[in-house]
Amino acid sequence: MTDQEWLVRMALELRRRAVAESRINQTVGEAVAHARDSGQTTERAFGLPEAYAAQVASSLMAHVARARPRIGEVRLAARGIGKRYRRRWVIRDVDLVVRAGQTAAVVGANGTGKSTFLAICAGFLTPDAGQVTLHGAVGFCPQDGGTLDYLRPAEHFALLGAGRGTPRAEARRTGRDLAATLQWNADSDDQARHLSGGTRQKLNLVLAALGDPEILLLDEPYQGFDQGTYLDFWDQVWQWRDRGKAVVVVTHLLENLDRVDTVLDLTPRVSEAEA
Amino acid sequence: MSPEPPDVARRGQWLRGLLDICVLALLASGESYGYELTQALECAGLGQVQGGTLYPVLLRLERAGLIEAAWRAGETGPARKYYRLTAAGRHELGAGGAAWLAFAERVGGILREGGVE
Repeated sequence: MTDQEWLVRMALELRRRAVAESRINQTVGEAVAHARDSGQTTERAFGLPEAYAAQVASSLMAHVARARPRIGEVRLAARGIGKRYRRRWVIRDVDLVVRAGQTAAVVGANGTGKSTFLAICAGFLTPDAGQVTLHGAVGFCPQDGGTLDYLRPAEHFALLGAGRGTPRAEARRTGRDLAATLQWNADSDDQARHLSGGTRQKLNLVLAALGDPEILLLDEPYQGFDQGTYLDFWDQVWQWRDRGKAVVVVTHLLENLDRVDTVLDLTPRVSEAEA
Repeated sequence: MSPEPPDVARRGQWLRGLLDICVLALLASGESYGYELTQALECAGLGQVQGGTLYPVLLRLERAGLIEAAWRAGETGPARKYYRLTAAGRHELGAGGAAWLAFAERVGGILREGGVE
């Protein structure tokens, strides 16, 4: 097997395992550099390409054990929340309390009011019943919208940073660093309207986190992400949590629910649905 | 090829559990890249660690936030991925390294009682 064949097979296997393209490029680049430095063939240094790719993929997914800080004070308390459109209650009697260092997931089928509830928590909608109390600054990532078509990523960072009192250079640096954790190079000169749906969502997510708010409200922010980036997104969530943030994620995907502290299911109980 | 020393299988097992802490220790004195790390491990007498063993360890350490990586052009040839210790990595090196030394000391105690010199 030539090194070229080895690299192609390794890259194909990484792609088959839904590893992010940027991560595949890095893995290939590193293997090339190692082969050149060591004078070994890639097969001798790394073994079978598929086996090495499997190891790389599983290292990327490895559960990262972190020391969790103590659960802190209440950051968000929503009590008895109800919202009515005309005469129909979209949500009713919903309670949620999230403390510093906790993650909550809001789940439920389409149309059960997940986004409505989150927008109420963020203060973008007024509830018809109940009350939301927030202790700390809020970063809100809506499901769509939230980006400005004619601005470049760096201009978004500067603008949103200014709104939260962050100096321009610092906002741009923080934005770029956060983008990098989502496998996105935010130095692009493209205006937001020219970015792909997945990349616009990354921009949206980075904007929510600018200024280091204590409370993060994220409405299915990973739509259009590839598998690798999806994993990076949850990594970022656990990092925020471990740094003492209160994080609320609206999601219809259930695979990470065993790791969150609170699951709020908005699916109506049968008796209520009939009422 | 020289014959493998009799304890090679056992050494492989030891190294699997300790390669991460060894890598952190090597990076404590400054940044390095994959191939250079395999050479440093060999110079330290740990034998030849293949790329297929080392890079997944680097990847896990990077994911855990214990090291961070940056691509940079070397003195010659194309870019290399350089790794360096983060503050969390330095902390883990201190805690994990001390735990290993204490453990090795206890193993030594048992072996000496068993008559090993």
